[in-house]
Amino acid sequence: MSDSSEEEEISSTWVFYRDRNEWKDVTPVPQDDGPHPIVAIAYSETFKDAYDYFRAILKSGEKSERALNLTGDCITLNSANYTVWQYRREILKALDKNLWNELKYIETMIRRTPKNYQVWHHRRVIVEWLQDPSLDLALTENVLKKDAKNYHAWQHRQWIIKTFNLFDGELEYVEQLLDADVRNNSAWNQRYFVLNNTTKFEPHVIEREVDYTLKKIELVKGNESAWNYLRGILQHDGEGGLGRNKKVLESCEALYAGGSRSIHLLACMIDICQERHGADIEPESPFTIERALALCKELAEEHDKIRRRYWEYISQQLQKLSNSASQDGQRVLCT
Amino acid sequence: MTVTLAKHQHAKYFQRFIHLLPNQLAVHDSIRLTMAFFALSGLDVLNSLDVLSEQKRSEAIEWIYRLQVRGAGPRSGFQGSTSVPKEASKYQTGHLAMTYLGLASLLTLGDDLSRIDKKSIIQGVRACQNDDGSFTATLTGSESDMRFIYCACCISAILDDWSGIDKRKAINYIKESISYDGGIGQGPGLESHGGSTFCAVASLLLMDNLTSALSEKQLNRLRYWCLMRQIGGFHGRPNKPEDTCYSFWVGATLQILGVRHLTDATENRAYVLTTQDSVLGGLSKFDTSAPDPLHTYLGLCGLSLLGEPGLQAVNAALNISQSAFDHLEEIHKIWAGD
Ligand SMILES: [Zn+2]
Repeated sequence: MSDSSEEEEISSTWVFYRDRNEWKDVTPVPQDDGPHPIVAIAYSETFKDAYDYFRAILKSGEKSERALNLTGDCITLNSANYTVWQYRREILKALDKNLWNELKYIETMIRRTPKNYQVWHHRRVIVEWLQDPSLDLALTENVLKKDAKNYHAWQHRQWIIKTFNLFDGELEYVEQLLDADVRNNSAWNQRYFVLNNTTKFEPHVIEREVDYTLKKIELVKGNESAWNYLRGILQHDGEGGLGRNKKVLESCEALYAGGSRSIHLLACMIDICQERHGADIEPESPFTIERALALCKELAEEHDKIRRRYWEYISQQLQKLSNSASQDGQRVLCT
Repeated sequence: MTVTLAKHQHAKYFQRFIHLLPNQLAVHDSIRLTMAFFALSGLDVLNSLDVLSEQKRSEAIEWIYRLQVRGAGPRSGFQGSTSVPKEASKYQTGHLAMTYLGLASLLTLGDDLSRIDKKSIIQGVRACQNDDGSFTATLTGSESDMRFIYCACCISAILDDWSGIDKRKAINYIKESISYDGGIGQGPGLESHGGSTFCAVASLLLMDNLTSALSEKQLNRLRYWCLMRQIGGFHGRPNKPEDTCYSFWVGATLQILGVRHLTDATENRAYVLTTQDSVLGGLSKFDTSAPDPLHTYLGLCGLSLLGEPGLQAVNAALNISQSAFDHLEEIHKIWAGD
C-alpha cells in the first residue's frame, strides 16, 4: 500500500511532536475510544503522536503556521481524514495564505493518492475560491496519463470544463485518447459529454459521429464502448434512429458478411430488426423478426453463451411480438 | 473440481478485524465504522455472528452508539470513528455513509434502535441535500454524488421517515445521471458505473419509485447494460477487468430489476472463488491482489444472491442480511404502534 510506504518515508527523519520545542506549550489530546472499542487500529507511534496534537489544535481552535504544517503531516499519514482537510481549509482562510501554493501542494497529493475522494474535493474548493481553472486541464491530463479511466480525474475535468466553459479543444483531446486506446470507455463518455453540451445533435453532427464511430468499430469489432456510443448517438436521430440509418444497416451487413460475430454487432442487428418490425419500411428488408430470432439463437448457442438465458428470453419476447403483429395483420386484412 | 467457500476462514478473517486492524488500514481511521460493518454483517451473512461472545456483541453496540452525534441539529448523525474529540464538538459531525452503516450495524447486532435520536438524524439528512437533488456526505466538507443519495435513502428507509429527502429532486438527479449507454453514473454526464448504478436503482426502489420514475424502455436498457457487465465475474464499466465487488453491485441491481436469473451463476461463482484466500480467509478484487474487508464482504453478498449454501440471504437494496431486515420490520411494527 502506498500509504504505509509514505509513513516509512516520514519515519526516517521524524521528530515526534511531543519532542519538539516549538510545541511545548500544547498538551496532546489522546483519542477517547471508550472502554471496549472494536476494529481498533494498531496505530504507529508516529500516527498517534501527530493526531494527538491535531486533536489538541481542533480543541483550542489554533489557526497558525505550525497548525497548517501539522495538518500536512496528518494528511500524509491519512489523506482520507476529511476533518483534517476541512480544518486545513479553515487555516488557509484565516491566515490568508497564497492559494496558488496550495494548488501546488494538492497536486503532489493527488499524484500520490489519485483515487482518494478528499484530495479531489480539496482541489475543487481551492479552484472555486480562486476562480482559476487554468492548471486543471493539465493536471487531469497528467493523472489520466497514468490511468486513463480514473473516475475522479474525469469527474473533476468535467466539472472544470462545464463550470468555466472550457469545451474548446476537448474533442481533440478525446480523439487523442481514443487513438491511443479505442476501448477507453471513459474517453467515449467524454466525447458524448462534449457533444451533449456543445451541439443539439443536428443531422450533420449525427452523421459525423456515425461515420467516426463506424470507422472505430472497423478497427475493433468487439468494442462494446464504440457500439454503445453508436446507439447513444442514434437516439437523438429524429430521422428514425438505429432502425433506419442506412449507413449503420449497411455496415452491420458488411461486418456480418465479412465474418464478424461480435456479440455487440449481433445485438445491434437484433435491435435493428426489432425497431423496423411493424414500422412498415421497405418490405424486402433483410432485418426481420425471423432474422432476429436466428441471431438470438446464434448468440445463445455459440457466441455469447454466458448470456444464453438472456438471449433465450429476448427470443421469447420477439416471438410474442411477431405473433401479436400477425394477428394485427389479420385484423387489417379483415377490415 | 468444485471449489468450496472457505466459510470458517472468512469468519476468522472478520473476527480478527473486529479485534484489531493492522496499521496499514490506518487510512480508514476516520471511517472505522465501515470496517466494523463489513466484519459484523459479513459474520452475519456467514451465519457466524455467534463467534463473537454475547459480551463482545454488546460492547460493539456500545462502541457504535458512541459515534452518534445526538441533538446537534443539522450536524446530527454518526461519525465514522472517535478521532474527533468531544471538546471540539463543532467538528463532530454526522456523515451519511457512517449514519447508514451505523444503523445497519446496530440492526445486524439485534439492537432495537431505541437509543437512536431519529428526529435529529433526519434533520441531518435534510441538511445534506443539495439543490440539484444530490447529497453531500457531511457538512464539514465533502463531495456530492449518487452514493450519498443512496445512503440518505437507506437511513430514511431504516428510520421509516422520508421527511429528510426531497424525493422529487433526488429522482430528478438520478434520471439526469442516466447515460447514453443505459447505465447510470455518479452524476449527470459522468460515465456509467456498476457502483453508481446500484446506488441509483436501490435508491429508486427504497423510495418506491423504481417503475414510476423509469420507463419500460429505460428499465430494459438498464437490464441490458447490467447483464453485459458479466465476463465470468462482473466488472463495473465496459472494457474494465472483472472485480469481485461487482458480483454484488451489479448482481444486486439485476436482482432488483428482476432479471438476476438471466446471468450465469456458475461462472460468476467461479470467478469470486478464484479471489478467495482459503488459508487465511478473505476475498480480494482480483485473483492477483490481497484480500480486504470490502471485497470479502461484497464477495460473500454476491455469492449469497446466487443462493450459496450456508450463507444467509441478503436484502439487496439495503445490503444487510435477511435476518437484520426481518428484525428491522419488527422494529417498524413497534414504532407504528407507538
Ligand atoms: Zn472492487
